[in-house]
Amino acid sequence: MSAQASTLQQANKQQASSLLRKNIRKFVNNRLAMIGLVFVVLIVLSSIFAPLLTSYDPSQISLGEKNLSPCAAHILGTDNLGRDVFSRVLYGGRISVLVSVLGALMGSFVGMVLGSIAGYFGGKVDMLLVRLSEIFQTFPEMILIMILVAILGQGVGNLILVFSVTGWMTTFRMVRNEFLALREETYVQVCEAFGMSKAAIMFKQILPNVLSPVIVSTTVNVAGFILSEAGLSFLGVGVPSSVPTWGNILNAAKSVEVVSNYWWLWAVPGAVISIFVLAINFFGDGLRDVLDPKQQ
Amino acid sequence: MEKKNDFVLDVKNLSTSFVSDKKEVRIVKNVSLRLRRGTTLAVVGESGCGKSVTVHSIVKLMPKNAKVTADQVLYRSAKDGKEYRLDQMEPYGSEMRKLRGAEIGMVFQDPMSSLNPVYKVGDQVAEGLIQHTGMSKAEAREKVLDMFRKLGIPDPESRINDYPHQFSGGMKQRVVIAIAMICNPDIIIADEPTTALDVTIQAQIMELMKSLQVNDHKSIILITHNMGLVAEMADEVCVMYMGRVMEFGSLEDVFERTSHPYTQALLRSVPVLGLAEGQELETIPGITPNPADLGPGCEFADRCPYCEARCREKDIPRFELSPGHYVRCLRYDSYQEVE
Amino acid sequence: MLKFIGKKLLQMIPMLLLISFIVFGGLQLMDVDPISYMVTPDMAASAENQEALREQLGLNDPFVVRYFNWVKDLLTGDFGYSIVNGTSIATLLKTRLPATFELAVIALLLSSVIGIGIGIISAIRQNGIVDYLGRIFAVLGQSIPQFFFGICVIQIFAIKLGWLPVNGRTSPGASGFGDAVVHLVLPVLTMTVAMCAVLMRYSRNTMLGVLNSDYIKTARSKGIPEWKVYIKHGFRNAMRPVLVILCFRLPMLIGGSVVIESVFGWPGIGSIITQSVVSGDYPVIMVTTLMVAAAILVASFLVDVLTAALDPRVRLGE
Repeated sequence: MSAQASTLQQANKQQASSLLRKNIRKFVNNRLAMIGLVFVVLIVLSSIFAPLLTSYDPSQISLGEKNLSPCAAHILGTDNLGRDVFSRVLYGGRISVLVSVLGALMGSFVGMVLGSIAGYFGGKVDMLLVRLSEIFQTFPEMILIMILVAILGQGVGNLILVFSVTGWMTTFRMVRNEFLALREETYVQVCEAFGMSKAAIMFKQILPNVLSPVIVSTTVNVAGFILSEAGLSFLGVGVPSSVPTWGNILNAAKSVEVVSNYWWLWAVPGAVISIFVLAINFFGDGLRDVLDPKQQ
Repeated sequence: MEKKNDFVLDVKNLSTSFVSDKKEVRIVKNVSLRLRRGTTLAVVGESGCGKSVTVHSIVKLMPKNAKVTADQVLYRSAKDGKEYRLDQMEPYGSEMRKLRGAEIGMVFQDPMSSLNPVYKVGDQVAEGLIQHTGMSKAEAREKVLDMFRKLGIPDPESRINDYPHQFSGGMKQRVVIAIAMICNPDIIIADEPTTALDVTIQAQIMELMKSLQVNDHKSIILITHNMGLVAEMADEVCVMYMGRVMEFGSLEDVFERTSHPYTQALLRSVPVLGLAEGQELETIPGITPNPADLGPGCEFADRCPYCEARCREKDIPRFELSPGHYVRCLRYDSYQEVE
Repeated sequence: MLKFIGKKLLQMIPMLLLISFIVFGGLQLMDVDPISYMVTPDMAASAENQEALREQLGLNDPFVVRYFNWVKDLLTGDFGYSIVNGTSIATLLKTRLPATFELAVIALLLSSVIGIGIGIISAIRQNGIVDYLGRIFAVLGQSIPQFFFGICVIQIFAIKLGWLPVNGRTSPGASGFGDAVVHLVLPVLTMTVAMCAVLMRYSRNTMLGVLNSDYIKTARSKGIPEWKVYIKHGFRNAMRPVLVILCFRLPMLIGGSVVIESVFGWPGIGSIITQSVVSGDYPVIMVTTLMVAAAILVASFLVDVLTAALDPRVRLGE
């Protein structure tokens, strides 16, 4: 009996590991997803190790070197205060990626908790939360974010907070719908019969089943928040302009003079943002193919 | 005694495979079957055995990633007496479209989703009629009303203007049958027409189909996994397993002179009218294999009690036990091998 | 059908009241002296006038009374005044709304025709050349920041090639239809590209789902031509969810216009929102929020009506 059980367990393990291997193979074979992953890792790593790649301080003002075009000393030129653009793009990536990743993670967390509660308890709680998510979803995200920024004030921490307040709805819906279906499963009823606490059933037993789509939607949110941060900072309502972020660098491009004469000030950060978001989207699509084949 | 023109549909060596992830998986393999005019042919087998794919391949209603090949798919029209080679036609070309609906009508499994939710049922039934005959809407309406009366849809004058969601499941299936029947086709292909319905409604629908066959001299291909239905409805039976026709013959051949081990197992595993007292229902040991993992030889070998080494060597040929009774099994290799 | 529309219209009233109540409450919480936005600045200037004014304007009344007075003001077109530069919000809206409306409607029409069209073709000819190019376009459209795309087209078409004006809605001194059109091209293009990407993806997926459904098989089994299958049975069914998304895009257009109007110096609502957020002009923020909320309600009303018109299940089920 126990021998049988252990072989069964082993078989299960084998099956799981072969599934994992199969998934990894599937992902590696997806060329676009792999390219995406490589670019994401490359850009994140070069932001983290920015001091190794450049000797310039991103906020070092040097009025003698204003608006230099790319040259040997400044490979991507300098801005209107003589700051090195290459170093600003590298360091800017730190804040931009940090804000969007943390915002997306916190948004997913909020969505998961609320979704679990709505889906597990159903009834009035569910109705209330669904209504709330609908209101959030139909309100234009950009304007919602701007209003919240206006109320809370600008700042890196506030922006992360705003993103998590405005980015929980997709995760919430997914988790809730899964919970509604899984709640009826026999194993949940068994757990209830064993007297397991509601929180344990919700978060330990049911939640792991919905993690895959949540991971996918989180990556998609990261891409969206990178764009939002850039847009907000471009408008001057995102992260305070003293902090270098990709959006803040692009803020310079609000003047026609910069657009027509100093292309390196906007083309480079714009291209970096586009490539990074594109890479995350490819990566996310590949991840979805592997983790969540139903949703295409 | 067998006249060739007896067969309204004659399929030889039809094969279908699906391409996914650059791999080709064979779903239907060298299927040959014949439909006698004015009779019912039942295609039976477990789910996933390729029954539906076979008939969909015949009428060429296949998704784009499907590859269909056949030596011959011949349709003999009673209307103009001509022979049509379906295998040589473009799937959605005008030749094929002239036959579809007009000469070959189809009834699908799920009446709930077979009707377009946004159009009135009357218009949906009339659509094919107008397409094939070019008659006016008013004429078509009369025809549809006649058909509704014939199929036992109550109060047709008002129901004709209703939408599908206002119908019950059984009534919906009658509408679907009306769509299939409206152009008075020779052949009706019914793909599990009652699986999605209640048992009492099932009986009504099957009676209706039987009367169409007998009174209007229609030829019917009935796809089902319900052996009871087969016993009631079929004149000939085609037993499929993993895309292969295992046994083909008249109802008596297959039910009383059951020859293939798979058919035997299948018959033991389902309650059939005339089940001997004390006889127990059995299950077929093992599970249906994944079509992508099948090796050479007999598809049923892994689950067959009579399996020998030679069963796994190569494809099993067809043996003709008696006129019109074919079996793919090496236990009958003393009989005449036919292709 | 008329009854259905009437019912939906009636349902909007409590929603509007609720939203306005939240907005009004929010404004109270903002700790802005109401006197500063309720009257023109020169009236508020003299201190001895203020107390009299307060009494006169009912500012010392209880909250609920003040709320209903505010709603009454709104309904009579008195939206209050900006606390930053003292302009009347009503005049501000009157001058700025048409600009945003012009941009949004043109972009909406263009992107729906192009986006839905290409999406449907992509679904019909899945993995064909249109599908392939469309998917590349969609993924690029969703990855490139709108404002960056805007800057790029300004650089190319306005600065390098000099074909089109850099920004603004009209050239100083010039007027007429031609002038308006050349100013519209670039902002409309930018807005259309982003919206197209979303619509294309969505209508492709919806149409693919519809084409896989059983009733399409039934339609084909009748022997009708393929184009009829696609247009009559496919398109009509795919249209409903696509139109729902389209309607919900209407308020999103205002969100999108925030960035685009800033890039192209377009004198619309979007730039007002940006300015008021930057300068903390709460009355303006609140009124525009209320407008956006009203726009969403109108959009969802349109969705309901359209859904009912297209789907008998909704029309007859109610």
